[in-house]
Amino acid sequence: MKFKLIYPKWEKLEGQTTFNLPPHGPVVMAAALPAYVHIEFVDENVDELTFDDDADFIGISMMLTGQIKRGWQIASEYHKRGKKVIFGGISTMLHAEETLEYADSIFLGEAEGRLEKVFDDFRNDKLQKVYNYLAVHPDINTIGPARRDILNKEKYYHKGVRMVDLFHASRGCKYNCYPCAVAYLGGKCFRPRPVDRVVEELATIDNNRLFIVDNSLAQDKQWELDLFREMIPFKKNWCSHPIENDDEVLDLAAQAGAWFVYQAVFDTSDYIRDRIKRYHDHGIAVEGTILLGTDDHTEDDIKRLIDFLLEINLDLAEFTVLTPFPHTKAYDDLLRQNRIIDHDWNNFNAGKVVIQPKHMTPERLQELYHYAWDTFYKDESQSEKMFKLFRTVIMKEIANGTYKPVREELANRSFGKKVNR
Amino acid sequence: MIKHFNKDINSDYFDEVYDFKGQWDVPSRCGLKIVKNEQHTVVIATELYAENPGTSVTNFCAPLATLIGFAFTIDPGKMMFIVHTPDAKSKLTFMNENFYRVDFSWDGNRFIDPKWSQIAKSRVDELIGLAPKL
Repeated sequence: MKFKLIYPKWEKLEGQTTFNLPPHGPVVMAAALPAYVHIEFVDENVDELTFDDDADFIGISMMLTGQIKRGWQIASEYHKRGKKVIFGGISTMLHAEETLEYADSIFLGEAEGRLEKVFDDFRNDKLQKVYNYLAVHPDINTIGPARRDILNKEKYYHKGVRMVDLFHASRGCKYNCYPCAVAYLGGKCFRPRPVDRVVEELATIDNNRLFIVDNSLAQDKQWELDLFREMIPFKKNWCSHPIENDDEVLDLAAQAGAWFVYQAVFDTSDYIRDRIKRYHDHGIAVEGTILLGTDDHTEDDIKRLIDFLLEINLDLAEFTVLTPFPHTKAYDDLLRQNRIIDHDWNNFNAGKVVIQPKHMTPERLQELYHYAWDTFYKDESQSEKMFKLFRTVIMKEIANGTYKPVREELANRSFGKKVNR
Repeated sequence: MIKHFNKDINSDYFDEVYDFKGQWDVPSRCGLKIVKNEQHTVVIATELYAENPGTSVTNFCAPLATLIGFAFTIDPGKMMFIVHTPDAKSKLTFMNENFYRVDFSWDGNRFIDPKWSQIAKSRVDELIGLAPKL
């Protein structure tokens, strides 16, 4: 049976460097498919999508809220051609009721051990409208290596440089952060994968540069120590979300190849200053993730925060505006207060203001968002800062003998499209 | 019976933990206090944040009010439904304690179309008889 799995495109943020990373959800889902299913994967961000094909069954995998309307359009095109369409992925779970209107079926939850039934039902013309596994997670021990073989790998190069590969070492999150839906999606219990299963997966990845996509690694110190210790021999370099604020853990993380971390910077406190310094002391760079427009932010607070970012020598900064994704406390609060002013899901990209901020107009917050990007990168552009970060990883790779040169034959292509060198 | 609740949550506003099947039947829970006064049956549903494994009260307001109404035999015309978001003990002001009255329409079988309006803690105290007698 031929199953065509599509990852819809989304509008990229204005004025920012666009990188297309190989998606993670589809490769994890593909690993759970029954053996008789032949999968064709199309990432619409880098591949051309055509609708007239011989696929038996269509899957649409959606991670971002900004993908869902395009996902619905794609489903409608396939319905015109008499194909059945199933939706899955994070934003299907966040927008399940709406997505159901465009779907023959939706899959909610984690895929391991559940897809045999879905495909059996499809083959027997008994496809259910909803496969709901939100309440019961699969045994974390059963999660094996993702199927990265479905990716068109050459499309994830920019001017001959390969993008990082994504992998995950845990699911769920014990934190309940204001703007985040992960606790709803993966459960409020941290579920680390056994280290030997993570190592098994690492051994299958031929890319020296990785992005560990777990929400936060800083949830179980002993597991983190064990994980990093086992990762050292692989000589990978990787970025991740926060690592435990502990010298022993950070030291091992650095030995295991921690390249840079995404660290939320939410105020100008000494705690944040020390947190960033500690990463730097261990040779780990920091990309600050800065959320603008919370109820604690006045214009002055935002400007002071940006000055602070420059003071603490962040290696990179990524600014977003508070966006109320469903199933977050932010969404609940702003919904109750009738402060969600834009309901077009395409605008829920964290770069467009869709709420009424407490201390300023939406237009002013939008201006401050642009001000933040412009001010932080005034003296050294985003590309220059990225290049510096890139140079550090090359130096590390040269030192440990894992450096792979730029692929010259792809030097005039960016994510599959022709560009000037 | 109160079970598994965060001791930091102000228990003036809940007497029990109420377990319910939330959106997509996900096991969910909230704090619950029901007080009858002369005009209303006041139902306070408290968000339990990390202690709630499933759907939030806000996300499930109308079905939850319906469930509670049937479970405790409350006249829909007399129910006053209040969402309590307790103080999350954070320095962030948007994690402070708040109360919202929710008005619904009744379609004959269930509550629909929730509309929230913030109300003062002192007003909630009056409604449930916690206000000091003058």
